Amino acid sequence: MGSWSASSVLFTIVVVAAFGFFSYNVQRLVGELQLGRHDDSRWNDLPRRFWNFLQIGIFQKKIFRDGVAGPMHAAIFWGFCVLTLGTIEMILGGIAPGFSFAPYVPAPVYAFYEMNQNLWGALVLAAVSFALFRRITKRVKRLQGKETHADDPLLILSWIGALMITMFASHATTGIVHDLFWWSHALLVLGFLNYLPYSKHLHVVVSLPNVFLSNTSGPGVIGAMRPMDLESDIAVFGAKDVTDLSWKSLLDGFACTECGRCTSVCPANLTGKLLNPRKIVINVRERLEAEAKGDHSKTLLDDFITEEELWSCTTCRACVQECPVSIDQLSVILELRRNLVLGESRFPEEVMPAFESMEQRGSPWAFDPGDRGKWAAGLDIPTMAEMAGRNQRPEVLYWVGCMGSFDDRAKKTTVAFAKILKAANVNFAILGQEEKCNGDAARRMGNEYLYQMLAKENIETLERYGVKTVVTACPHCFHQIGNEYPQFGGNYDVVHHSTYIESLMAAGRVPLRDDLHEPVRTFTYHDSCYLGRYNDVYSAPRETLKRALPMLNLVEMPRSKDRGLCCGAGGGRMFMEEKVGKRINAERAEEALATGADAIAVACPFCMTMMADSVKSRDSHVDVYDVAEVVAGRLA
Amino acid sequence: MKIAVLIKRVPDMDVRFKIAPSGTAVDESGLKFDISDFDGYAVEAALQLKEKQADPAASEVVVISLGPDVVQETLRKAMSMGADRAVQLKHDAPLHDSYAIATALAAELKGGAYDLVMFGRMSIDTANQSTGTIVAELLGLPIVTAISQLTVNGGQVTARRELEGAYELIACPLPAVVSIDEGIARPRYPSLKGIMAAKKKPLETKPAQVGEERYKLDKMELPPERAAGRIIGEGKDAVPELVRLLKEEAKVL
Ligand code: SF4
Ligand code: SF4
Repeated sequence: MGSWSASSVLFTIVVVAAFGFFSYNVQRLVGELQLGRHDDSRWNDLPRRFWNFLQIGIFQKKIFRDGVAGPMHAAIFWGFCVLTLGTIEMILGGIAPGFSFAPYVPAPVYAFYEMNQNLWGALVLAAVSFALFRRITKRVKRLQGKETHADDPLLILSWIGALMITMFASHATTGIVHDLFWWSHALLVLGFLNYLPYSKHLHVVVSLPNVFLSNTSGPGVIGAMRPMDLESDIAVFGAKDVTDLSWKSLLDGFACTECGRCTSVCPANLTGKLLNPRKIVINVRERLEAEAKGDHSKTLLDDFITEEELWSCTTCRACVQECPVSIDQLSVILELRRNLVLGESRFPEEVMPAFESMEQRGSPWAFDPGDRGKWAAGLDIPTMAEMAGRNQRPEVLYWVGCMGSFDDRAKKTTVAFAKILKAANVNFAILGQEEKCNGDAARRMGNEYLYQMLAKENIETLERYGVKTVVTACPHCFHQIGNEYPQFGGNYDVVHHSTYIESLMAAGRVPLRDDLHEPVRTFTYHDSCYLGRYNDVYSAPRETLKRALPMLNLVEMPRSKDRGLCCGAGGGRMFMEEKVGKRINAERAEEALATGADAIAVACPFCMTMMADSVKSRDSHVDVYDVAEVVAGRLA
Repeated sequence: MKIAVLIKRVPDMDVRFKIAPSGTAVDESGLKFDISDFDGYAVEAALQLKEKQADPAASEVVVISLGPDVVQETLRKAMSMGADRAVQLKHDAPLHDSYAIATALAAELKGGAYDLVMFGRMSIDTANQSTGTIVAELLGLPIVTAISQLTVNGGQVTARRELEGAYELIACPLPAVVSIDEGIARPRYPSLKGIMAAKKKPLETKPAQVGEERYKLDKMELPPERAAGRIIGEGKDAVPELVRLLKEEAKVL
């Protein structure tokens, strides 16, 4: 560009107009977010938020979970970060001809900067070309879906490609040709900026703040549900429409890139159910945009998201774990379930007996509460009440849980764990009749009223005995008492039995038989969602197995640890029929059997039922054990 | 249309009972109570009748229960399902004679101008199946018992009763008394919205005008514990021993 010219005046006007229009759109979007529910849980624990921002946002940790798309996306993202500097220089140069950063920094720094502009420009160009090629020729499964805006990515990718080409061309040319390329580059940049608010590529600007504001990777307790204030009169229970959702769930809608990673790992979707977590997020944005335009004729619940979709969710958290921009699909599902149950009493009819029994008998199954401690008959295990009667307080409370107390298969695990505790001379007691269901299934099915009733009763009991440490073999009890009871003033040190056994073994407190004649055994371990993704316990059960079986050959399933596939029982699915598609436990059992292992280990009574049922139905001789049973089987 | 539903608070039956020290009542400690199953069906049937009216708001479902103050909880539950208001006929001492109970209920129903009075077929704890019938008699109204379907059309009720391998349809004019069998409708699960609303609905308490009890409960006893089973062997070899035991010990052969 020459000196001050008509051209620079014109450009200044264009820049002002472009940024003016962009800020108008930003205000519009902020206004849309304000339609959501108040949510002040987004500014606490700033160090953790910055850490998430760096790890997940800047360093693209989750993006890299996909080995192909990961590097491709990272190249574009990092390229954009670097090239933005160049764009700023270019815009300033357009306004004030001849402007450059060069006079303000040492020459080598400027040279380094210029080199990076070219390098990253080339990388971005290569990455978008690859992305375009992949989109057009390969039809990657997770990118398909009728809820997506499939043409948008093609437009955006071509646009970015054109940005790079015009940038390089303007550098390489002079005179009128240069001016032409320069202007087209500038207009493409400003146009891109203003197209974003209308596109799914809004994530370019929203994803970083979204990662910062998200609670899905901490801060606080991951996976804990929002406590509802049931005392105050609430007009709408849970959420019926976008206006009942937290503004952060609405921001999630803007941040979604439609990448489909969530849906590609969803056990319900994988086995042919209607549920599709990506669709849930897209629906939120669609419905919000209509609402903002004054269209109140539809609601998110029923018109966009159906009951059938909502009840298919196992709350396995795989979608949340996988989302590269830290979207919380699950919280939308759970808030809508709350509205169905608390507001309208709409739920699958087979759930009713479970609700009623939890309320009446403190367990989802119609067993006599008086029989809760029956498994311990003859084992010489004291109850808290008996110990309190003797003025004693045990070191730990063994929280048995409903499955562990009443289910025949799970009772074997219960007894096995009790034997280990005894062998290790742990001073422990149980609550017996005074224990009630932890309420997790009720809460996850949307019945917050029933859940809080159970949670508060249990906390009262635990407080009465001054309990400090709780061990449990059930990941749902573990998650509830440890992570969600603090919402109601119950603060305990809760340890899952796999972790507890491992620490006992590490301390040499568990006497094992001589191992000379142990055969070599091949095990595969199935991760429980509420132990793994909800609580990051991946190694304890594996280590416990290795310590218990000296000749163990532990093989992993393709989907394991934080990518583990749900057994299908979570989120109250245990109490619902599974009528559509393939059974989730069948999908998982097949995966386990395909490893060739001769036994499957689990660390959750729900996983136990699901896996054992499916393995048995296949006439397979593969055993399913709880980790405690494996250890108990080797006790001296 | 004005409907009265008479409901009873009963213990959860899926537990093992203990007899109280008095010997004439069950030990209530640790028991959970709820609305009797058939009474729950009756409440649901009443609510559905009301909802089917051209102007549901013009109809009223009143739930009535006799007993000490704890029955208020049961009445609130029925209101959380959707009943409009409740009446507690307060009486603290236990009652056994259905006739005495029926007189108190009939006294309350008499001036109430109810078009339809609904009972459960029986209470699931004492299972006498008699209160509803006596109430009908005392009120001089027709009664159809143990019905599994119900329609009301212009001052007439049509009810279906299940028989062994058949059913009968019975029509009778309103006002009438009906008792409800289980097939009729699954009681709805109260929503939190319903529970909140129920807290604000009117619950009236008045003394029960109980008639004279003509019989009293003497004694309650649990059945004797069954002796534990015994495995005497497997397959053919065990047969002689089994026959011997059946002859000599059980004396059934
Ligand atoms: S929590 Fe699991 S089942 Fe539910 S939508 Fe997410 S991935 Fe699917
Ligand atoms: S919610 Fe997350 S994982 Fe799912 S499509 Fe959107 S961005 Fe991808």
